[in-house]
Amino acid sequence: MTGRRFLLGAATVLTALLLQTTVLSRLPLPGAAPDLLLVLVVAYALAEGPLSGMTTGFIAGVLADSLADHALGRLALVYAVVGYLTGMIEDDSDRSTFLPFLAVGLGALGGVLVFAAEGVLLGDPRITLSALGRSLISSVPYAVVLTPFVVPAVGALVRRVDPELIRR
Amino acid sequence: MRGSGRLRLLLVLLVLTAFTLTALDYRSAGGGSPFDAVRRGSDTLFGPAQRAVGGVVNSVGSALGGLPRLGGYKDDNAKLRAENDRLVAQLHETDGLRRQLDESQTLLRLKDTGTYTIVPARVTAVGSSLGFEWTATIDVGSKAGITVNKTVVNGKGLVGRVKRVGPYSSVVVLVVDPDFSVGMRLLRSGQLGIATGRGLGPLGYQLLGQNSRAAVGDPVYTSGSMTFEPGVPVGRVSSTNADPNALTPTGSLQPYVDVTSLDLVGVIVRPATGTPRVPIPPTVAPVPSQTAGPSATPSPGAPLATATPTATPAP
Repeated sequence: MTGRRFLLGAATVLTALLLQTTVLSRLPLPGAAPDLLLVLVVAYALAEGPLSGMTTGFIAGVLADSLADHALGRLALVYAVVGYLTGMIEDDSDRSTFLPFLAVGLGALGGVLVFAAEGVLLGDPRITLSALGRSLISSVPYAVVLTPFVVPAVGALVRRVDPELIRR
Repeated sequence: MRGSGRLRLLLVLLVLTAFTLTALDYRSAGGGSPFDAVRRGSDTLFGPAQRAVGGVVNSVGSALGGLPRLGGYKDDNAKLRAENDRLVAQLHETDGLRRQLDESQTLLRLKDTGTYTIVPARVTAVGSSLGFEWTATIDVGSKAGITVNKTVVNGKGLVGRVKRVGPYSSVVVLVVDPDFSVGMRLLRSGQLGIATGRGLGPLGYQLLGQNSRAAVGDPVYTSGSMTFEPGVPVGRVSSTNADPNALTPTGSLQPYVDVTSLDLVGVIVRPATGTPRVPIPPTVAPVPSQTAGPSATPSPGAPLATATPTATPAP
C-alpha cells in the first residue's frame, strides 16, 4: 500500500459519498436510492482482493454512518462484510464479463440483508418486511446498473496508481 | 497478506469493531454519544461540500421545474381561509357553543403559520441508507440558531424535525421516515391522534379517542407538542380502516409534502407568540418566504374580529 494508493482510496470514497448524498439519493427513483459506495467497495474488492475490499468498506461505512441517522458502525459492518465476500469470489474463478455484475448484485443483496438483520437485532423501527422488500427489489438492480461505470474505472485507476496491487 | 487465515482474522476484527461502535452509539442514542465529536467532524467537513454540490443539483432540479417553493404559503393561506369560512359557518348551525369557540380558536391559530419565525434553508443532501431511512441534510446549522427538535416546514406543510445539528448543516428526519411520529389533530372534528411515517407513501395514523372518526379527505394538522409547533398542515386522510375490533380508529393519510422533491424549507426557530387577535383581511397578507429574521407578529391584545363575512350568527 503506497501513499498514492491511499490517496486514491480516500479521494474515490469521499467523492462517492458526496455524489451519493447530493445526487444519487435525490434522483426521483422508486425504492431505495442507488448505493454508489457499495458498488465502489465491490469494485475495490474485485480489483485487489478481500483485504482491500474490507478495509475500504469499513472506512467508507464509518464515514457514511457518521452522516446518516443510525448508530455508528452499522454500514461499516455491512460494507466490510460485502468487501470481504466479494473479494473472495474472484479467487477461484476465471475473470468473465459477467462476474462484476454478479458480484455487485450479490453484494447489494447481502448488504441489504445484513443491514436489515442488524436493525432487527437493535430493534430499529425502520426495518419492516415491506421496507426490506422495497429495498431489495430496487437496490440490487440499481447497483447492477452502476457496475459498468464504476468497476472498470476503479480497475483502471488502481492499475495506473499502483499496478502491483492488481491481482490475477 | 496472502494467508486466508489472517484475512479472516482481520474481518472478524473489523466486524467486532463495527459491533462495538454500534453498541456504544446505540446505548446513548438521543444525546451524549461518545461519537458526537465524530459526527460533528463529519458535518463540518461534508456540510459545506454538500452545500456546494447540492446547490448545483438544486439549481438544475429547479430549472427542470416542479419543485415546491416557500412562497406557496400564499396558496395555503387562501385555502385555509376558505376552509375556515366554511367551518365557521357550519359551527354556527350546531349546538355546543363552547366547542365552537375552541374550534375557531384552533382554526385561527392556523393563521400563525405566517407568524412563526422561520429560518429558510435549502436541502443539500438526502440520506437513504440502503432505502431504510428518509432524512435530509439542510444548509443551516447551529450558527444560524438551529437546535435539535425544531419543526421543519415548507410551503405545503410539515417536512420533518431536526434530528442532529452541525455548525453549518443539520439533519432532518422526514415525515415519511418510520422513526418519525407526530401528534395530529383532525381539522374538522378536532380529534387528536398520532401520525407515523411508513416509508415513502402515505403515513399511518391512529386516533386517540375510541369514538373518534375520520373521513377520507379530512385535513390533518399538527396538534402541538414539546417538539412540534401546532397548526402545521400535515396531510389529508386517504383511507380509513374499518376494523370493528380495532381499539381505536386507524388509517392512512397522504402528506402534503412530497419528500422526493424537497428544495426550500423553513425551520421554525421561534413559535408564534399567541393566537393572532387581529381582523383577518380578505386578501392574503404577505408571508415571509425567503428572508430570515422575525416576522411581523400581530399584537396579541388586538381585538378579535369576525373572520368570515359568510358566517351568520345563530340565535
